[in-house]
Amino acid sequence: MRIGSRPHLFTAALLALAAMALNAPAHALEPYVFDLPQRFPIPKVPDDNPMTVEGVGLGRVLFYDTRLSGNQTQSCASCHQQAHAFTDGLPVAVGSTGQFHPRNSMSLTNIAYSTVLAWANPLLVQLEKQIPVPMFGETPVELGLAGKENELLERLNRDPRYRRLFAEAFPVADDPISVASVVRAIASFCRTLISNHSAFDDYYYRFDDAALSESALRGNDLFFTERLECFHCHGGVNFSASTTFVGKAFDEVQYDNNGLYNIDGAGAFPPNNRGIMEITGDSRDMGRFKAPTLRNIELTAPYMHDGSMATLESVLIDQYGHGGRLTTEGPYAGDGSASPLKSQFVRGFTLSEQEKADVLEFLHALTDETFITDLRLSDPFLATLCRADCDLDEEATPADLRTAVETALGTQTLAHCLPADESADGAITVEELVAAVKDRMGGCS
Amino acid sequence: MLCGVRSGGLAMAALAFLLLLPRPVAAVVLDYGGRCLGDANGDGRVTSDELVGAVNNSLAGCDEVLVTLDFRAQVGDLPFACGQSYQDVGLSHSHWVPADLRFYIHGIRMLKADHSEQPVRLVQDIWQNDDTVLLDFENKNPPCNDGTPQTNTSVRGFVPAGEYTGVRFILGVPFDKNHQDSSSAPSPLNLTSLFWSWQGGYKFLRIDSFIVLEDDFAEFRVHLGSTGCRYGRPLEVAGCKWANRGDVVLTEFDPNADVIVADLAALLADSDLTSNVPNTAPGCMSDREDTDCEPVVRNLGIDFDDGFSSPATQKFFRVAPASQP
Repeated sequence: MRIGSRPHLFTAALLALAAMALNAPAHALEPYVFDLPQRFPIPKVPDDNPMTVEGVGLGRVLFYDTRLSGNQTQSCASCHQQAHAFTDGLPVAVGSTGQFHPRNSMSLTNIAYSTVLAWANPLLVQLEKQIPVPMFGETPVELGLAGKENELLERLNRDPRYRRLFAEAFPVADDPISVASVVRAIASFCRTLISNHSAFDDYYYRFDDAALSESALRGNDLFFTERLECFHCHGGVNFSASTTFVGKAFDEVQYDNNGLYNIDGAGAFPPNNRGIMEITGDSRDMGRFKAPTLRNIELTAPYMHDGSMATLESVLIDQYGHGGRLTTEGPYAGDGSASPLKSQFVRGFTLSEQEKADVLEFLHALTDETFITDLRLSDPFLATLCRADCDLDEEATPADLRTAVETALGTQTLAHCLPADESADGAITVEELVAAVKDRMGGCS
Repeated sequence: MLCGVRSGGLAMAALAFLLLLPRPVAAVVLDYGGRCLGDANGDGRVTSDELVGAVNNSLAGCDEVLVTLDFRAQVGDLPFACGQSYQDVGLSHSHWVPADLRFYIHGIRMLKADHSEQPVRLVQDIWQNDDTVLLDFENKNPPCNDGTPQTNTSVRGFVPAGEYTGVRFILGVPFDKNHQDSSSAPSPLNLTSLFWSWQGGYKFLRIDSFIVLEDDFAEFRVHLGSTGCRYGRPLEVAGCKWANRGDVVLTEFDPNADVIVADLAALLADSDLTSNVPNTAPGCMSDREDTDCEPVVRNLGIDFDDGFSSPATQKFFRVAPASQP
């Protein structure tokens, strides 16, 4: 049927359908299917939190909701902004109460593939274990929800859209709106933050030989040499050694001291930023941090765990070219290249101007513009551009309209068509359906 | 089961007899845990299995008695209260204002004169889960803002009737519960202000406070928990370098006449509250790098260097008569 040719008839049909009462029948959870190119690995998902369309849809709303902080000023997205590949552009994060975090906000690019979360915490091996840290942590305060779980759950309970989203995402729970559900839904959404549309991906996974420039190809070759040694810590599909996926038998975790500091000649890092030593209590772990993914690295400045390097060029030349960073003055002065604790792969190198440009060109080829504009990963509290685009694929198809009607009738879960619920009250009214149809006819597809 | 189970047939006969009696409409009778009497597993219903068990135990001569261990939080001789001002606390003789006091204990045993130990079987409720109890002295009055209005100042459980002369317990959450999924844990292990997620466990003890300075306030917090934890198998914490659990032994304790005092002035007696090791958290976050922790951890009966229990140095808890402060 060609929608649009007979708007009045279609609207009448909608009204008839909507009049059939909004008694939602029971429906099964719909498994979420990762959209991945061939050969691109599939993320591991914990058995007790399977990926569902409903969980992901709810998680996206929670991720962007400032009600998830004690004083309702911040959400996860405050420090993990899509335009910055889910980091914030600041040297170190600032929490909801204004407290400075000792660390730089990490990019959430391809976080589903990380064997371990955060810069330096071997205990955070699952998103479900990590998410409570920013929510409830007190040293430092991030979202500032410690002791406020009942307040949080009451806030969510007051919102009819949440009541429907939680009930549909966690249908077997006695009390669907719980701390555990919040954590699980956000974890599910975070697992969808997958970047695989960079020029490198087009070249490597989609076999487009023209995707990488000559310069980027030379940079690629340099990146994978024993001369630069980049790939030892930033290798593999995710350009990070601490990566896992379905089929990988061993979840590798790697922490390295990259010689960024050497305050006392014995390899010391600044207080409060000493790497996994702060968790393990083992002095040999001084300055050992996780090598983060290099995907979208162009978008995530400033760099390093403490945001102490402003540009990618300075990271390449002043830090790794020098074989560790030389800090000439201040309380943290010292030559990192002489650190006894630094990784054997941080040996230093000299690049010609052309080689430098080539490596940077390659790193820029890891930038994924699709990822930072993908509506499915975007803020649902922003105005909806096309109320008929249920699946947020930037195309309003007849299938979308069908989904909108089914969602209105309750035969489909709300997560299938959040854009049509413009009033965000958890119900799609006849008026909202009509508005969606008008959007579609107005050419938002 | 409460006690030994005898013949099921006899119990069934007794139960059948009970069920034949006229059934007047009556108010719900609660047990000592505030739960429906007879609801042994706390699921909100009294099933025939629970009735059979109770009839059996009655016939078997169940002789367990309820024991209540009362705790009292004090600052020296004064009762603890959120926001109250206390003078002369610590080596620094500081003007001190508490903002939180909560701690978990487990492994609670009554001691007999012959040094034998009798584990206490805890009433199961919102404060007591398996053998772990949360003692909570803050009532959310300012500045105890991260707390809860409800308080719990006692441990309630059952022991066989007998003469008991002491009590022993462990300060902290037991290892097998400390590393569970805290987001979906049962009460009292689901209080987010006691989550210590970045260390992979719970805060065993939480004391928040302020030091009143001449024209300013300084924070002083004590967050005790296991540190240096590591995985063995995936998702399974194998152990922690510093367990930081305190084994508390209190002799000459009569549960009917005495209380267990948790004395913050005694705990902080050897700390200079006005100084903080630079670049460490204010107070003590169980960090070995932070030497502010040393006297606090020692007075909790824990060795600062290895995190093992060292009951001889424990000064936080003491026995006092219930009648006098």
